[in-house]
Amino acid sequence: MMMDRYSLLQKIGIYLAVAIFLGFILLPFVEMFVVSLRPLEHLFSSPYRFWGENFSFDAYSRMWETVPLLGRYIWNSIFISGMVTGLTLIFVIPAAYAFARLEFPFKNGTLGIFLAVNMFTGAVLLIPLYRVLRTLGLLNTYWAMIVPGVAFLIPTGIWLLRSYLEKIPRELEEAAFVDGASRLYTLRRVVLPLAVPGLIVVSVAVFITAYAQQFLFAITFNQVRELQPLPAGLYEFIGYQDVTWNEMMAASLTGVLPVMLIFLFLQKYLVAGLTAGAVKE
Amino acid sequence: MATLDLENISKSFGSAKVLHDIDLAIRDKEFVVFVGPSGCGKSTLLRIIAGLEESTAGKIVIGGQDVSGAHPVDRGISMVFQSYALYPHLSVFENIAFPLRVQKMGADDLKARVHRAADILQLTDKLQLKPGQLSGGQRQRVAIGRSIVREPKVFLFDEPLSNLDAALRGDMRVELSQLHRELNATMVYVTHDQVEAMTMADRIVVLNGGRVEQFGTPMELYHHPATKFVAGFIGQPNMNFVPGVVAGVDAAGVAVDLDAGGRLVLPIEADGAAKGDRVEVGMRPEDIRLGEGLSLNVKVIERLGGVTLAYGALGDDTRFCAALDGVAPAREGEPLALSIDPAACHLFNSDGRVMRRKAAPALVA
Repeated sequence: MMMDRYSLLQKIGIYLAVAIFLGFILLPFVEMFVVSLRPLEHLFSSPYRFWGENFSFDAYSRMWETVPLLGRYIWNSIFISGMVTGLTLIFVIPAAYAFARLEFPFKNGTLGIFLAVNMFTGAVLLIPLYRVLRTLGLLNTYWAMIVPGVAFLIPTGIWLLRSYLEKIPRELEEAAFVDGASRLYTLRRVVLPLAVPGLIVVSVAVFITAYAQQFLFAITFNQVRELQPLPAGLYEFIGYQDVTWNEMMAASLTGVLPVMLIFLFLQKYLVAGLTAGAVKE
Repeated sequence: MATLDLENISKSFGSAKVLHDIDLAIRDKEFVVFVGPSGCGKSTLLRIIAGLEESTAGKIVIGGQDVSGAHPVDRGISMVFQSYALYPHLSVFENIAFPLRVQKMGADDLKARVHRAADILQLTDKLQLKPGQLSGGQRQRVAIGRSIVREPKVFLFDEPLSNLDAALRGDMRVELSQLHRELNATMVYVTHDQVEAMTMADRIVVLNGGRVEQFGTPMELYHHPATKFVAGFIGQPNMNFVPGVVAGVDAAGVAVDLDAGGRLVLPIEADGAAKGDRVEVGMRPEDIRLGEGLSLNVKVIERLGGVTLAYGALGDDTRFCAALDGVAPAREGEPLALSIDPAACHLFNSDGRVMRRKAAPALVA
């Protein structure tokens, strides 16, 4: 298409801009990786060297000994985020459908409140949340990290999924209604199968946010080592004498790896989901 | 027996009244078309019959049973939507089977019914495909398949052909007429296309502004339109309306002095019209011949081979169209002398009501 044609200079500019942005985002990862390969004493040597002959993957095996529960922490992270995602979807699907299709009093007001809740960070509510969790006896359990996560992500999920569901033609549901299908049957057999890309977008967004926000809830509401997720567990690399930075970086990278793999796999759905229905096909 | 009676149906959206006391009695096995300009309420009326919309007042009676307020399935209706409303993630088979799955019909019965529907609509070899792999006409057939598989008493069609191209629309029109004969069912069909209405309907309901203008057979509507609106809506190209003044009334009919010049004596029952009344003479383009009496200032000529359409003005400002046989000797920018058989004219009073024609062609054999 003519619209896609750029001059050489424009192309160079575009690629340069992309390179700068990517560098900004990816360089920390590169640095993490390089640090994880370095022997500890190298880290503080001056002058700084980008490459040394005794670089190795040692940290990746030693980290399991320094922090014996590391595997458990990684599993906890994924488990907590997974539970948050699952529970959030259970609440968000019917709610988003109701907001997309049904008429009820205070509909727009409620949506507005949901958006407002999004503006708060968890940190503001930590103390009240602590009291609530203590009253319910949930402190120092997985639930202490899952329940607040779900609560904070429901509004985001509703907003994301509602706009997706609104793009599904109403006539499809009317056709199902005329043929005798109930609302729930229509939701299950017609709406949800068509909303799969939207559901994937919501799941990924929720999972990633849950993965990132669990740190705050973990260090506040949980004292039990065995239940800690990775970000809290990383603290154990900070010893009394020194910090084993190389192992901490190795552990961080290993912990992020599963999420990255999921992302890579779901990438095409994400792009399709975010733009689907924008143009009439 | 699947008669469909609408009794005093009214519908308001807020303060806007879109349907006014609609009273219709549709016979068993009849093909009735609702036609009218967009916004006339025809789709709303259909959705009320379907049970997708609730009427503000009135009753819907199907097969002698009052079904107002009943669920669509309990009404015994099925509906084909304008956009087909096929489920894109399901195969053609599952799309057609959907209403039966909802009923939890047994697998053998279900399969037999779907295959019977597919047979009628020539979809048997397409059953495993997804709707996205089908052409527009095939998708339309799948939508119809889904509506016939439940064997309802009344079929409702909401502008089902408006998404198809002209050639396909012609084919589907014939197929739908055949389907009506095969299924022997009552059908209600909504369209804004008067050609679809004329060709398929047993009887046509012309709606305008939420009211029934006229309910009758296509030929009744063509030869005896009740109002100026119906006269202008039915027929292609549209009827011309030539203003004039009643010059006198006698046994022969009504004499009208046209504003554009000339006098016509029309064999029409005066119906209370008196000398001096403003009237409009309705002339169908296809009734116009070359001759004497009317002078058309031709502006645009369209030659279609079989007919020549001459558009222009009668007198100074009366828009006029004549459909002349073959290659008529008309030129753009030149006056053209025309005539019309007074018996072919319609006469409307200033309210747009028609005055009864004395002589009119027989209505279909």
